[in-house]
Amino acid sequence: MRRRGVSISEAFGGFRLWWLVLPAFLFFLAFFVVPVLSLLAISFNKTVPGVVTLTDAFTLDNFVRIFTRPLYYEAILRSIGLGVVVAAVALVLGYPLAFLIAKTEHPGRNTALMILVLASMQLDMVIRMYGLMVLMGDTGLINSALIGLHLIDEPLPLMYNAFGVVVGLVQVTLPFMVLSLVGIIRAIHPSLEEAARSLGASRGEAFRRVVLPLSMPGILAGSLLVFALSISSYVVPALMGGWKVVVLPIHIYQQIAEAGRWQFGAAVAAILFLTSLVAVFVYHRAAVLTSGGRT
Amino acid sequence: MMKTIDKSGATRRGFLKGSAGGLAALGAGVNLFNINHAWSADAVYDGGVFDAGGATLNVAEWGGFWEEIVRKEMLDAFEKDFNCKIVYESSFPWFPKFVAGGPEKPPFAIANWNYGEMFKTAAAGDFFTPVDEVVENVPNAKNIWPFATATGVGITWSYTRYCYAYRTDLVDPPIKSFKDFWDEKYAGKRGTYVTSNGLQMDFFIAACALFGKDQYDLDAGYEAMKAAMPMKISDFTGNMQTLLERGEVAVAVQHDAEVYQMMDRGIKVAPYIWDEVKPILTQTKTVSKYLEPVQKKLAYALLNLTLDTKLQSVMCDKFYQRPVNKNVVVTPNLSSKGVSNTEDSTAGYWTPDWKSYNENEADIVETVNGIFAG
Amino acid sequence: MRDEPAVSWPMRAVAILALVILLLPVVIVVLAGLNAGEYLTFPPKGLSLRWVIAFLSSPTFMGAYLYSFVLALVATLISTVLGTLAAVYLSRSRSRAAAILRGFFMLPVVLPGVVLGLALYVFYVTTDIGLARSFPGLLIGHVLVTFPFVIATVTASMVGFDLSLEEAARSLGASPLTAFMKITLRLIAPGISAGAIFAFIVSFGQFETTLFLTVPNHEPLPMAMYISLRYKFEPTAAAAGIFAIALVALSTVVSARLVSLRRVFRA
Repeated sequence: MRRRGVSISEAFGGFRLWWLVLPAFLFFLAFFVVPVLSLLAISFNKTVPGVVTLTDAFTLDNFVRIFTRPLYYEAILRSIGLGVVVAAVALVLGYPLAFLIAKTEHPGRNTALMILVLASMQLDMVIRMYGLMVLMGDTGLINSALIGLHLIDEPLPLMYNAFGVVVGLVQVTLPFMVLSLVGIIRAIHPSLEEAARSLGASRGEAFRRVVLPLSMPGILAGSLLVFALSISSYVVPALMGGWKVVVLPIHIYQQIAEAGRWQFGAAVAAILFLTSLVAVFVYHRAAVLTSGGRT
Repeated sequence: MMKTIDKSGATRRGFLKGSAGGLAALGAGVNLFNINHAWSADAVYDGGVFDAGGATLNVAEWGGFWEEIVRKEMLDAFEKDFNCKIVYESSFPWFPKFVAGGPEKPPFAIANWNYGEMFKTAAAGDFFTPVDEVVENVPNAKNIWPFATATGVGITWSYTRYCYAYRTDLVDPPIKSFKDFWDEKYAGKRGTYVTSNGLQMDFFIAACALFGKDQYDLDAGYEAMKAAMPMKISDFTGNMQTLLERGEVAVAVQHDAEVYQMMDRGIKVAPYIWDEVKPILTQTKTVSKYLEPVQKKLAYALLNLTLDTKLQSVMCDKFYQRPVNKNVVVTPNLSSKGVSNTEDSTAGYWTPDWKSYNENEADIVETVNGIFAG
Repeated sequence: MRDEPAVSWPMRAVAILALVILLLPVVIVVLAGLNAGEYLTFPPKGLSLRWVIAFLSSPTFMGAYLYSFVLALVATLISTVLGTLAAVYLSRSRSRAAAILRGFFMLPVVLPGVVLGLALYVFYVTTDIGLARSFPGLLIGHVLVTFPFVIATVTASMVGFDLSLEEAARSLGASPLTAFMKITLRLIAPGISAGAIFAFIVSFGQFETTLFLTVPNHEPLPMAMYISLRYKFEPTAAAAGIFAIALVALSTVVSARLVSLRRVFRA
C-alpha cells in the first residue's frame, strides 16, 4: 500500500511535508508556549502580591494551599462536574438538532438553520445575560407565567445558581456541539441505515446500532470541545452564577487581576490546564477504543 | 532635586536610560530607581497652555458614555490646545497592567481610580508621583477641599456617597439605618457585589465597623455577610440597576449618583445615604512617577483641567458627580436632591484603612466568597 | 418506509427545543434593541429604530463594530492560511509528531481566555517588543484562539480524502502545484470555508482573551459593550447586538453562495 504523504512531497520536488506546519508551529512556540509556560512557571514561586517576576526560589506552597483549602479543591471538582453536565446536556440537545440539519436537503432551509445556530453564537455575553435575566429571573417571563397560571407561589430560582450557569453554558456551547456533529452525521451514508431496516431492524434499532456508533467521532470531539470551553469560561459563571458557583477561572481572575497574586493565580491556572489535558487524553483513548484501534 | 527645561528631557532620558542599562549590564549594583528619579522629576507646570510637540499621553479612565462625555468636554480640545495625542484606555482593571511592567514602565501617565485598587497598586511599588509634588504643579488644586488630597496617593476630583438604593414601592417603611438591610423581609431581595467591586469592599468594612468593635473587626463583618444571606450578588452597578428596575432586588448597596439617575428616569427608587459612617466613592487620579518630562507635564495639565470648575460642573450635570472644587455651584439635578458643595456638606467623610484591608484581602476574598457561595 | 420523514418526531421535538433555547435570548435582545422607550426594558415600550440610529451615530459603538470587523477579518485570514497548511500536514503525516501536534494546536481552546490574555500581556511587557496594547499584539491573541477551529474543520474535511485524485491529475500532465491547487484545494474548500466562518465568529465575539490585550482608543465590540453595560444598561448595546448578528447571518449567506453550504460541514 502506498505510503501516505508521498504525493505532496513528490509534488513540490524535495518539499518536505512538515514545512507546511512550520509557520504554525513557530507561531505557537513564540506566542503560546513561551508566554503560557512563563506564566505557569511562576506558580512555583512564593506568592507576593503585585510581583510578576520569576525567581529561582522553588516552592510548592501554592499547590499545597489549593489542595488543602476546600474553597479551591471544591472549585476543581465543581469545574469538572460543570463541564461534564454541560457536555452531556449539550449532546442531548445538540445531537437531534445536528441530525435535523444534516438531513435537511433543501439548500435554503439548510442555510437558514445554519444561520440560526451561528447567529446565537454572535450574541455578546453581557447582553445575552440580559436576555436570560428577562427570561429566567425571579420576575422573569418564565416565573411570571408559572405564577400567573398558579402553578407555583414563589418564583423558582432559575438563575444566580448552578442551574443558571448550566443554562448559560449550554447556550454558549451548543453551537460548537452542533457544528462538530453535522459533518459526521451527514457523512453517514443513508444506505447503511436502509440496509439495517431491510434486515428487519426497527427505526430506533437502526439508529442505535448503525447511526449512533458511526457518529461517535463527532460525539467525542463535540463533547470534548464543549467540556473544554465550559471549564475555561469565566464570563458565564461570573454573570449567571450570582457568585454561588465559584469555578477555577473565577479564582484565577480574582487572584491575578484583582488581588495581584500572580503566583497563586498561575497555580490555579496550571491545575485547570492539567484538567483539560487529562480530558484530552481520556478523549484520545476513547477515540482509539471506539474506532477499534484506528485513529 | 534637579530641574531642567523639559525640551532637553527626551534626550536626557535616552542618555540616562542608556547609561543606566550599561551600568546594570556591568553589574555595578547602582540603584536604578535613583537614577531614573532624577529625570522623572523634571516637569514643572504653571497652568498655562504649551506645545507638547505631538507627544502622546496615556490615559486610563472609564469607557462608554463616560468616555464620550470626557472626550467631548475636555480631551478633544486638550489635544488641539496642547498639540498632543491622547491614548485612552478603558478596559479595566489597571492594577495588573501597572504591576506587569513595574514602576519604570507605567502603562498610563494618568489613571482614574476608585480607592481600593489605587491603594493596592500604590502598595505594590513606587508607581505614583507623591501628591504634594502633584499639588505644586496643578494650580487648580489650590481650590479643592482638603479631603481630596488626604490619601497622599492621588487627587480626588469628584465623588459620590455610599448608600442603599431601595424600591419605594416594595419597601415600606423607608430604610432609615445601615442595619435595616438585614431585615428578615429582604431575604433574597437584597443585593450587593462581588468582593472585587469597591462598593462591596466599602460595604464590608462599614459592616465590620458598625457590627463589630471597629473597622478591623473582620469576624463581625463575616458574621454580617452570613446574616445577610440569601442575597443577590452582582458584578457591577449597571447590572444592579437592572436588578432593581426589574424588582429582582428591593434594596441594594449603591452609590447615590446611580440612585439619583434612576429617580430622574422615573424609576421608583430612593437612596438611604449611610450616616453611621460616611465613606465616599471617589474618582481619584494618579500621575505616574516615572514619565518623560513632557508626559508628566501633560498629565499635570490634564489634571488641572479636570479640577477646573468647567469640567466639574459638566460631570455634576451628566453623571451626578459631586465636585471637589470649592467654587463649583452644584447643578440643579443634584441640588434638587439636597446636595450642596459647602465646607459643612463635605465634613465628616470617612476613609477606611485601605492599607489594612489590602493586607487582609486574600483572607477576606476567600471567606466572603465562601459565604456568598452558600 | 419511504413515506416517513427523514427525522423522527422525538428527534424533531428535541431539535426544536434546542433551537428555542438558542434563540430565545437572541429574540429578546433584538426586541430590546428595537425598543421605543428611553431605557433597556422588556417587553419593549413600542417598537422604533431610535436605538439602531443611536448605534449608527455612536462613535463608541460604531467605531468598535468596524474595529472588530477588521480585527476578525485579518485574524481569520491569518488563521485560515496557517491552519489550512498545518491541517494538510496533520492529516497526511502519519508520524507520531503529527499526532502530538494535533493535540498541541488545540491547547488555546482549553486554556481560559483570560489566562491566555494575561500570559501574552506579561510576555509583551517584559520582553518589551512593542506588542503590548497594540493591534498586532491583540491580533496574535485572536489568531491563537481562532486557529484551532480552522485546523479542526480542515482536518475533518480531509479525512477520507482520496489521494489518488491528485495522482490522477498528475498522470494527466498537471504540474504538482496545479494538481494541488485544482484538485486538493478545491475538494477541501468547504472545510476551509467552514473553518474561516468559525474563526470569524470566534474572533468577532471574543471577549476573554481580549480583556487584557485591548488597544487604547480602539475597543473591539464585545469590550465596548461590556464596558458600557457595566455602568449603564442602554439599548444601544442591544442594537449593536442586532448588527453583530446581522453580520454573521450575512457572512453565512455569502459563503453559502460561494461554496454550497450543504457541503461546508460535510466531513
